[in-house]
Amino acid sequence: MFRYSLRRMVLLLVTLWLLTLLIFALNYWYPGDPLTNMTGIKFSDTLAYQQALVARGFDGSLLSQYFSFMAHLLQGDWGASMVTEQPVFAEIKPLLGATLELGLLAMLLAIVLGIPLGVYAAIQQRGKLDRLIMGLSLSAYSIPVFWLAQLFILLFAVKLGWSPISGQIDPLYAIDINTGSILIDIWLSDSDYRIAAFTDALNHLWVPVIVLSIMPLTMLIRIMRNAVLDVLQQNFIKAARARGLSDSTIMFRHTLPNAMQPVVRQLGLQFSVLMTNIIITEVIFNWPGLGSWLVKSIYERDFPVIQGGLLVLASIILLVNVMVDLVHAWRYPHIRKEIDAK
Amino acid sequence: MSNILDIRNLTIELETSAGTVKVLDKLSLQLAEGEIHTLVGESGSGKSLLAKAIMGFINPRWKITADRLWWRHYDLLALNPVQRRMITGRDMAMIFQNPGSYLDPNTKLGNQLRETIPQSELKGIYLRRKANRTVRAERLLHRVGIKDAEKVMNSYPHQLSEGVAQKVSIAMAIAHNPKLLIADEPTTAMEPNTRNQIYRLLAKLSASQGMSILMITQDLTSVIPESQRMSLVYCGQLMETGPTEKIMTEPFHPYTDAMLQMSFFNKELVPKTRLPTLTGAIPTLQHMPIGCRLGPRCPKSRRACIHQPRLSKVKQHQFACHFPLIEVETHD
Repeated sequence: MFRYSLRRMVLLLVTLWLLTLLIFALNYWYPGDPLTNMTGIKFSDTLAYQQALVARGFDGSLLSQYFSFMAHLLQGDWGASMVTEQPVFAEIKPLLGATLELGLLAMLLAIVLGIPLGVYAAIQQRGKLDRLIMGLSLSAYSIPVFWLAQLFILLFAVKLGWSPISGQIDPLYAIDINTGSILIDIWLSDSDYRIAAFTDALNHLWVPVIVLSIMPLTMLIRIMRNAVLDVLQQNFIKAARARGLSDSTIMFRHTLPNAMQPVVRQLGLQFSVLMTNIIITEVIFNWPGLGSWLVKSIYERDFPVIQGGLLVLASIILLVNVMVDLVHAWRYPHIRKEIDAK
Repeated sequence: MSNILDIRNLTIELETSAGTVKVLDKLSLQLAEGEIHTLVGESGSGKSLLAKAIMGFINPRWKITADRLWWRHYDLLALNPVQRRMITGRDMAMIFQNPGSYLDPNTKLGNQLRETIPQSELKGIYLRRKANRTVRAERLLHRVGIKDAEKVMNSYPHQLSEGVAQKVSIAMAIAHNPKLLIADEPTTAMEPNTRNQIYRLLAKLSASQGMSILMITQDLTSVIPESQRMSLVYCGQLMETGPTEKIMTEPFHPYTDAMLQMSFFNKELVPKTRLPTLTGAIPTLQHMPIGCRLGPRCPKSRRACIHQPRLSKVKQHQFACHFPLIEVETHD
């Protein structure tokens, strides 16, 4: 396990390093001046530009430029936005909080609903409810997220008026944005209207969370169903039945833990899909997260922001995948043997 | 001694693309209490199906009919699945050819072993019971000949050799003191040393606890001396059944004789000559001969063999052949 963890960590570091190389190179491929793209300092600001030219190693070779780029990156100096002229690194924290809040809640909802539904479908295999669950999940899986989001807004916000159309919270509550996760920020704030603000935030939250959770939810249902059916075919389940163990013991001690194995694997992959969907959802719901920020910066050709956003999103996906791999190997020891054998 | 397992004319039919095939054809088997009965049959003879039919691992596509399928005083075919599982779970246990795949790969063996110990056999309140469970699990492992019980309990199945895994599955099988243990080719994948250990262990368990064992094997060389009775099955039909000693020394059936000729029991074999074998190959499911299924391969077959012979009985010894090796007065 230690060797395996070490190998994963090394792989993570190498991938992150390649990512920095790519982002560094992008500055030269974007239109305009590489130094401006990198730092956000405009050519017209002559004094600052001259200082940056030296500080960023642009008087030296490409290699020295990369080293200075890395040094600034690690120190948290990610340049300033070309539009707002705010430092990118400081801006990212609350945005990341908002994105993670949305993503984690959607993932949680998908897990809480998807796993029991998948297991239930498997137990009722070929029954009416199984067909219903599978049919619904397949149709829901086929709906693209941008369309689903607009349908939900039309239905729940416009027609029924159950929820606001977009945004994170009503600005009247004047909650100080600190972590970016609105629920935590309300918790931390000393506003007199905390309960009301909390309700309002939840009102804003539930539609985008449901929209986002549809994709991982339908995937989870189908993976879980197949995994449970697969495990139920295994010899050790038959042997456990022959030993006279009760159905619930077999289900909770043997079937589910084994069926979770492919699901844990999939969670990592699903997270990347979720991150893609989150960008679209944030734009549609005007959610102040990394995704909408990134899309906005693309429209505005705000290269330092694109660079920072890419770096954070890609790193999160990499980190989550490595963590899932580690959990998988730790929880399922016989997988380790296969990995070592390779 | 009374028979605790009584099977008369058990037939299992499978639906295949080529129509219905009888994989077991009127098979009868009786097992007395505390007896070791060896069932010998080549691959495809339906011996594992018989074991599954007894244990109740039944595929809904199989059609099972029998004049009798009785376990003690229960008619197994008349019980509903829940009752049946209760009875088989309480009275029977089974061990398998490749023990590795019959153990949960993601649970430590200690936990798997502990949960097979029935709640009713433990005394005291929660924590006391839990400690008792561990003690009993360790004792079970000692009984099947595992010395380092603690290490085995803390291992996962993939960390053990097949021999040790088989011992653990025997320990799990005997945890609730079953009356019948079905051992389905328990040692096929093992080296001779481990194989002998397992056989000695099973014989010892049978002797010390009065446990009946139905031992299923592929060939006569793995019939253990402790086995009191044995049966030979070919393509789902019973060829011969009787006391082990009698069958090994004075077989009535040409099939038994052929099996003996090809094993090392054949002392007349001249070195470097060909091993005498039956001609032809085992027929496929779709092409079962009518009548006695051994017919086309049998050295003694004649026209009468297109009708399935009835079981003839000489004392304890029964065989199904029109032309036995030793002439007997038949009763019909």
